[in-house]
Amino acid sequence: MYSTEFDYYRAATLAEAHQLLTAHPGAKLLAGGHSLIPLLKLRIASTEAVIDIGRVAELRGLTVDGDSIRIGALTTHAELAASADVTRRAQALAEAAAVTGDPQVRNRGTIGGNIAHADPASDLPIALVALNAQILVTGPRGERAIEAAAFFTGIMSTALGENEIVTAIVVPPGQRGRGSAYVKFKHPASGYAVIGAAASVTVRDGVCASAEVAVGGLVPHVVRAPSVERALLGKPPTADTVAHAAALVADDIRDEVMGDIFASGEYRKATAAVYVKRAIAAAIERASAA
Amino acid sequence: MTATTKTARVFGSGIRRREDPRLLTGTARYTDDVALPGMVYAAMLRSPHAHARITRLDTSRAKQAPGVVAVFTAADTESVLKPIPCLWLVPGSDLKLSPYRPLAKDVVRYVGDAVAVVVAETSYQAYDALELIEAEYDTLPAVTDPEKATQDAAPELHEQAPGNVAFHWVVQGGDVEAAFRSAEVVVRERIVQQRLLPTAMETHSAVAHYVPVTGELTLWNSTQNPHIVRFACSVVTGIPEDRLRVIAPEVGGGFGSKIAQYPGDFVTVFCSMKLGRPVKWTETRSENYQATTHGRDHVQDVELAATRDGQITGLRCTVWAGMGAYLSTAAPGIPTILHGLMLSGPYRIPALKEDVYGVYTNATPVEAYRGAGRPEATFMLERMINRLAAEIGIDPVDVRRKNLIPPFDDGFDVVTGLKYDSGNYVGALDKVLAHVDYRALRAEQARLRQQGRYMGIGVSTYVEICGLGPSQVAGAVGFQGGLWESAIVRFHPTGKVNVFIGASPHGQGEETTFAQIVADELGVEVTDVKVVHGDTDNTPMGWGTYGSRTTAVGGAALAVATRKIKAKAMLLTGHLLEAAVEDIEYESGRFFVKGTPDRYKTIQDIALLANVAWNLPEGMEAGLEATSFYDPPNFTYPFGAHVAVVEVEPETGRVDLKRYVAVDDCGPQINPVIVEGQVHGGVVQGIGQALWEEAVYDDSGQLLTGSLADYAIPRADQLPEIEVLSTVTPSPHHPLGVKGIGEAGTIASTCTVYNAVIDALAPLKVDAIRMPLTPERVWRALQPSREGA
Amino acid sequence: MDIKGSYTFDAPASRVWELLMDPAAIAGCIPGCRELSPLGEDRYRAVLVVPVSAITGNYTGTIAVTDKVPLQSYRLNVEGNGRGGFVRGQTAITLTDAGAQTIVAVDGQVQVGGAIARVGQRLLEGVSRMLMDQFYACLKNKAAVAPPV
Repeated sequence: MYSTEFDYYRAATLAEAHQLLTAHPGAKLLAGGHSLIPLLKLRIASTEAVIDIGRVAELRGLTVDGDSIRIGALTTHAELAASADVTRRAQALAEAAAVTGDPQVRNRGTIGGNIAHADPASDLPIALVALNAQILVTGPRGERAIEAAAFFTGIMSTALGENEIVTAIVVPPGQRGRGSAYVKFKHPASGYAVIGAAASVTVRDGVCASAEVAVGGLVPHVVRAPSVERALLGKPPTADTVAHAAALVADDIRDEVMGDIFASGEYRKATAAVYVKRAIAAAIERASAA
Repeated sequence: MTATTKTARVFGSGIRRREDPRLLTGTARYTDDVALPGMVYAAMLRSPHAHARITRLDTSRAKQAPGVVAVFTAADTESVLKPIPCLWLVPGSDLKLSPYRPLAKDVVRYVGDAVAVVVAETSYQAYDALELIEAEYDTLPAVTDPEKATQDAAPELHEQAPGNVAFHWVVQGGDVEAAFRSAEVVVRERIVQQRLLPTAMETHSAVAHYVPVTGELTLWNSTQNPHIVRFACSVVTGIPEDRLRVIAPEVGGGFGSKIAQYPGDFVTVFCSMKLGRPVKWTETRSENYQATTHGRDHVQDVELAATRDGQITGLRCTVWAGMGAYLSTAAPGIPTILHGLMLSGPYRIPALKEDVYGVYTNATPVEAYRGAGRPEATFMLERMINRLAAEIGIDPVDVRRKNLIPPFDDGFDVVTGLKYDSGNYVGALDKVLAHVDYRALRAEQARLRQQGRYMGIGVSTYVEICGLGPSQVAGAVGFQGGLWESAIVRFHPTGKVNVFIGASPHGQGEETTFAQIVADELGVEVTDVKVVHGDTDNTPMGWGTYGSRTTAVGGAALAVATRKIKAKAMLLTGHLLEAAVEDIEYESGRFFVKGTPDRYKTIQDIALLANVAWNLPEGMEAGLEATSFYDPPNFTYPFGAHVAVVEVEPETGRVDLKRYVAVDDCGPQINPVIVEGQVHGGVVQGIGQALWEEAVYDDSGQLLTGSLADYAIPRADQLPEIEVLSTVTPSPHHPLGVKGIGEAGTIASTCTVYNAVIDALAPLKVDAIRMPLTPERVWRALQPSREGA
Repeated sequence: MDIKGSYTFDAPASRVWELLMDPAAIAGCIPGCRELSPLGEDRYRAVLVVPVSAITGNYTGTIAVTDKVPLQSYRLNVEGNGRGGFVRGQTAITLTDAGAQTIVAVDGQVQVGGAIARVGQRLLEGVSRMLMDQFYACLKNKAAVAPPV
């Protein structure tokens, strides 16, 4: 595992990171390094320059503002999983962080790096889409916020523009009594989500007052499951309702489902409903308890 | 009796492994940790094609790259390096050897076949320069499936082997045709024992240091058998054995893959010979998956004949065993001698026949992998017994009970020609069934089925062959070496002991258990014994650590050597106490004249007196040291019975392994904690084959599971607590009665788990699924359309 | 690895065929294509940068068109090499007239070797499909725009 040669720069501030990016076209940003470094070492990726943003203070921190959570891009999976604020307000995200990779990956890997890398089988994006999160980025044209659902555009492809840097993720407050959950089928070797499902549901007056469901591992990027969501809205949260709604996930995956030697597209498509069902059921249970 | 107080025997005590502190604190020194002045680094250019003609190989740009010291191809090496010898030439098998060159010449035959080597001042520079070698290929059709490789349309790998058949070996006993003609029941199955990647934690590594002025080579090597490496290296490189020192420092696991003699080792030696500088080569993990040998890879057609009431009358099978592109060191012996001869297992089977085809394929060479041939045999038998049980409607435990060989303690002849040493198979089965309360488990299964849940119970009984083995037999079965082991026991004047052994443990814990043997035999503290191994310059010749033979053979050599020490100590005590040697007794570290135990000499007294040699009996040589070369009279045959409990989730096909219980009998246990650890590791490796592991090649011969992101080795969080129990049936011929435990777990567990999954799905009419039992495979077996498949 | 796809163009077969045979159009639509230069009749040298952000890498190779049956079908053979390994593809492309529309069916096989096959199989199918989808989506857009007179 020997990468090709590259220059290493460490940015102390966000402004410096932007200067370095401008000065070194094609440079790669390094945060926790758990996606980039393996690719470099395998020589599947190569780069002239690596800009380490791992010590940029502005990208750190996890704060609660009102009921929304602002998560600095350098927040690690382990920090997300251990955060009482995240668990209380966005449990799907805490759960997704807790089941990503292994302890080493969770201790080093960051949420910003994870979503910018945009692996189609990554856990955090699925939870973020179900929670209607916003991705805050800065770039040559200033700051902007991108809806999580619009951020992921393909396999390792995002809406990030040239020289834009993810700075934070904002998870907006859900309705009162919202519950959320993340459930995955973990690949036995890589730990990536063969299928990942996140659900965020509010139960009020005995019916599902809101429902957001997202699935990953199936098509090139995480997608919402609107048919599933519609089948839940206004219905009492019974096991039958959930099962019926979850089964509709197949309708929401219009593109051909990706497969690999471990799990074919056909299998993933046929069993996705099981994980969707479990995520919704867990979200409802938490919603009812909230 | 004497006044000596009885203390707990050190033999049989679960003391901590003395190896662990250095391993756990990261201070152990592996081959890759060797750093020598002036050392340079080698990297191999490997073929990206499974089968191709090399049309162009231009190294000129690479030679100009920064830091590059040299670039070599087969054109450079072929005048120096001979092909790598295969060391198990199974007789009567029409073996078709083909040249296994350290660097491929003209044609590459698997993805990973090395075609060039770059040596540079740093590894980074070496890998950069690899990209500058201009290699062009004309690709040829490739085949990786061992059965398909023998079919008419298959591309051929070697002109020496028409139809890709490297050998055809038959084992036969009894009248198998008659057994099938008169069979009341015949059950059949095609079993695929998929190709596996051994995945030792340490990848393969070599450091070669050739000193031109003396013509001497030191080779640090990640190997299980340094003395065989010295021999093979001498054959391949021409360096005389007396000038060749092989050191196996800490070795981070091998599981059979470090028996093999590797092209990369000899290429590294060649580089050092040419450059006169130390050269290091260490595989990266993804290189390891291509270049280090693989395991298993059988396609098996099996038929079992029996009576309606479950008495087995015959077994008939054909096996296509993938060998990969070249015959690795011990490869031909694995699907033949270590597999076919064990086909009757712990059962009375009056007639059997097996045809084994060893087949060249465009894949990485196959070599021993923990269990080596025996898991593949045990699986066939245990699978067919369950199939028979289902066919005749009798509980699989009862079918086993009906066919198990009754207990014996000094030899039992089986139909393949082997003589098992001792066994109590029913005893092990009874113990495991009692432990799990088999009837209660079946009742729980019935209750869960009522609820629509699918619990399964798998039971296996097995016997294996280890303690390889009598050298005369080794010669008769074509092994190009002996299979004895050696030990030197040296007492220093202070009573401290060095033990030098020819075997080469690499994780099995013999530094601890061998010290226990010496302590137990001679009454020294276990901490006063240091075991030295792995360096051909200071250890006696030995054949290596594999086949669960280190304690079974090397431990016997050690026991014999300690008894020689004891005999000398008796003589010396008699001289010192002025008594006849016949009147000297030994107990708990004290030598004394019969009847006067209070006047005694300790072994430490004897060690000092023997070493200073001030007062020795007439004719006695100075020193207290003994050597033994022990050649066992027979193999040893450990055995056991295992139970697995699983639950299968039909909607996703996921298998949850809920419980695993192993009863193993390796004879008396020197250190039960180490035995338990060996069983844990072995069981888990076998479970890996059942549920997760498979080396997958695509149609063009690309290895698609080329990293740990796709090749699923077992992880702790996927496994239940493994319950380890034992019975003790000593080997009648071993000086300590011990048999060996390194491979037992792997041999039994694959089929135990497989049978449990099939048992779980019995109500859904599933009777076979190809391994590994991934969720998708299980799910597919449950789809209504499967009838059409 | 088999790869199949079907793309409906809002243009007659003649227009679609013209586009599919137009090196400039193809070069403009192959994701990451930096250069497409003729090597002879119906053979081109291609230089491309795989446009998947994390896996950037330069690939050079050849693209050859064979078995042309105008307005109906042809075969496209692609070979490429780069640091990550090699890619070879053989695809049969069939055009079917459907009134004002044309359906382009792609049926091919892709062989990938080297590091990308060994360590990247998890994403191979998805990336191949994504790139193919991008290519035909781009061509569909070009087809929908009236050709320059």
